[in-house]
Amino acid sequence: MVDQPLWEQIGSSFVQHYYQLFDSDRSQLGTIYSLPFPKIVHSITVQDHQPTPDCNILSMVVGQLKVDDDPVMGFHQSFLLKNINSAWVCTNDMFRLAIHNFG
Amino acid sequence: MAAEKEIWQKIGEGFVQEYYNQFDNTNRTTLGDLYSADACLTWEGSSFPGKAAIAGKLASLPFKSIKHIITEQDFQPTVDSCIFIMVFGQLKVFMLKHHACSWVCTNDVFRLGIHNIPA
Repeated sequence: MVDQPLWEQIGSSFVQHYYQLFDSDRSQLGTIYSLPFPKIVHSITVQDHQPTPDCNILSMVVGQLKVDDDPVMGFHQSFLLKNINSAWVCTNDMFRLAIHNFG
Repeated sequence: MAAEKEIWQKIGEGFVQEYYNQFDNTNRTTLGDLYSADACLTWEGSSFPGKAAIAGKLASLPFKSIKHIITEQDFQPTVDSCIFIMVFGQLKVFMLKHHACSWVCTNDVFRLGIHNIPA
């Protein structure tokens, strides 16, 4: 098996940890995630990772999620990871549900 | 009442508008100039490192014409004074960095919003 680039390893570890935490106990993700539903499951379809010029990692996730008993919805989420004091932390996070405007 | 836009939103919107204008309305041969020399593009999971590879990929996309319809676009400043952009319509993610008095794209990730549908 070919060794993955470092940014792929760090990015995919972060993504795995993030959604595992989000789906099990999101209170640990920080106060911004006080979202009004008890149950959520994320399923990752694809994930991409790139190094940035300032030695950060850009990660993009396309997936599906299911909240409570609602129908499955697509989502897109992008993260920017930065190494601060030897730990990789998330400095930017953008989330969108896959909903388009119907004409 | 219109709130004053943040500077990163203005720069970001300007970049996105120019990017899709070149993408949709030209032969895309100058699109590479929007990227820095060592930028990376990930296109549907394949990597294209460097301005030349990116320019080659974008100019060689196998369609006669394309139109992007932007559903939403989000902008954020980063701690390193860059601008992080996510465009949702056809999904595109950019990172812009200030270089030599202009903003260039250093990272670009593209994915179609297609999920696995079980047989």
